[in-house]
Amino acid sequence: MSEPGARRAAIVEYQHVSKSYATARAARGAPGAVNDLSLTVPAGKICVLVGPSGCGKTTSLKMVNRLIEPTSGRILIDGTDVAGRDATELRREIGYVIQQVGLFPHQTIGANVAVVPRLLGWPAARQRERAEELLALVGLDPALYRDRYPAQLSGGERQRVGVARALAADPPLMLMDEPFGAVDPIVRERLQNEFLRLQAELAKTILFVTHDIDEAIKLGDLVAVMQVGGHLEQFAPPAEILSAPASGFVADFVGADRGLKRLSLTRVSEVALQPVVTARVGDAAGEARARTFADPFPYLLLLDASDRPIGWVSQGHIPATGALAAALATPMSPLLDRRTTLKDALSMMLDADVQTGIVVDRTGRLRGVLSVEAIAAALRPSADPGVIAAGTSTPAASGGGS
Amino acid sequence: MIDWTWLGGHLDAIAFRTWQHVYLAVLAVAIGFAISFVLALVAARYRILYPPISALAGFLFTIPSLALFAALISITGFSVVTAVVPLVMYTLVILIRNIVAGLDGVPTDVVEAADGMGLSRRQRLWRVELPLALPLIVAGLRLATVSTIGLVTITGTISDAFGGLGYFILDGYHRGNFLTEMYAGAVPSILLALGADFLFVRLQRRITPWTRARAGEVGAAA
Repeated sequence: MSEPGARRAAIVEYQHVSKSYATARAARGAPGAVNDLSLTVPAGKICVLVGPSGCGKTTSLKMVNRLIEPTSGRILIDGTDVAGRDATELRREIGYVIQQVGLFPHQTIGANVAVVPRLLGWPAARQRERAEELLALVGLDPALYRDRYPAQLSGGERQRVGVARALAADPPLMLMDEPFGAVDPIVRERLQNEFLRLQAELAKTILFVTHDIDEAIKLGDLVAVMQVGGHLEQFAPPAEILSAPASGFVADFVGADRGLKRLSLTRVSEVALQPVVTARVGDAAGEARARTFADPFPYLLLLDASDRPIGWVSQGHIPATGALAAALATPMSPLLDRRTTLKDALSMMLDADVQTGIVVDRTGRLRGVLSVEAIAAALRPSADPGVIAAGTSTPAASGGGS
Repeated sequence: MIDWTWLGGHLDAIAFRTWQHVYLAVLAVAIGFAISFVLALVAARYRILYPPISALAGFLFTIPSLALFAALISITGFSVVTAVVPLVMYTLVILIRNIVAGLDGVPTDVVEAADGMGLSRRQRLWRVELPLALPLIVAGLRLATVSTIGLVTITGTISDAFGGLGYFILDGYHRGNFLTEMYAGAVPSILLALGADFLFVRLQRRITPWTRARAGEVGAAA
């Protein structure tokens, strides 16, 4: 990314925003009303608006780029009221992605990506260059796709082009209305992951609408749960939505399996790791054996000279004398990274049919072990939700280690 | 059966009448398109005006041509205006309905994306909606042109000065069904209609390349 002003991100503030429709229009299926919505989306964060259909989430989104005008209240972007801006000018500064993508069928993919740069009057060569750069960024080979028409692409490819098009003028704010709603679950999962990878690089401010709570929890830095009638029920980080739903509606909406959902949201680094008896290859066996008797866990974790785990040695197999040899170690527990989610960690442990996983740092050195009990403890409803929420924002704070 | 000597002696006249035929048809379709285009844009923008516009065009279409010529002669005399006005009127219903249908056929998600990206209303119309309406607009022009080429023959009833190739058909009839002359009018006018039809099919393929680009043809287009 070499565009000037890259990495700009906007702050979006809703101040007592309401949108009401005449009863007759509402009965004909007009978009959902919004009732006194106030929230602030910090720069560079993904804020997901989630709720059942008719909860006003799409209306809230479209009021930002003035496709819908609020009945009352103000929306500020970086402190400027959008109502005072020229609508077309405003929209060219905001990336916009919709579920049906809305590519122009009569223009090539290259031209579609360059729509906004063209509106902004960029020189033709720069438009072309930018389109190719963005196609590559979303994983589409420019040489292969540039001259095709939208009808020649799959749904997933079209949605990638939609994202590339929205990014074309490097907007500080993106509005995404169910962007992954129309593709099959496998493609959706892939697009979500690519989206998170892109966002880690671009750090745009993103307002994202979905009706899928799992998607909201996976993608959102902040989640706004909305209720039919346009009421904001809760606005919090996903971990807090799951661990401390603000109302019965939110609890119902996130579902009975919210404990399990938290597994995929919590990372190994947020759980206190347990120490374990260790020894290096070449250490005196007798002394190591003695230490295993002092620990309730009757195993020794054998490390190489750089503290990288080799495998477990059970108490009974440790020789009374001599040095510890690497050959003594039996197959390992799964190796976990501190960034591994508890869901993946648990899955790996179940697959390997073991009760503990070994947590290592980036260089492969031992950090501690994670037991099934520790995972269960982290999810216990009695666990202070504040601790988990705090852990989300500052992962380093609660990460234990040996 | 065919009087080749007559044909050989009238080649200049056939050429002139063919040119006149094309001239009257093109003039009528061009004027008809200009009027239809404006009315269709008005109707598309202010939907409430579409039913009356469409109804008026439909009403004009139902007026018998001979009656219309007779009525116009009293106003505009034996001028080209008298010949062209009815021809124009008959194109309106086809062209207006096709242009409006073409604009209506633009997918709503495309319109929403255009608005969301900050195209002005005019940019949306010229860069997105009209290009996407082209297949139906061209189809309307094709139909209007072919039917106008047929109708031009009847303008010969106003006076010998008009009628294009229709002049030969009427003149041959008045000479007591002189078939050679009637064929000299009928055959070229049929060929003109077929030729115009073919040209519009080619034109449409040429200016709407995306309509042929489908997922199955990726290899061909890549």
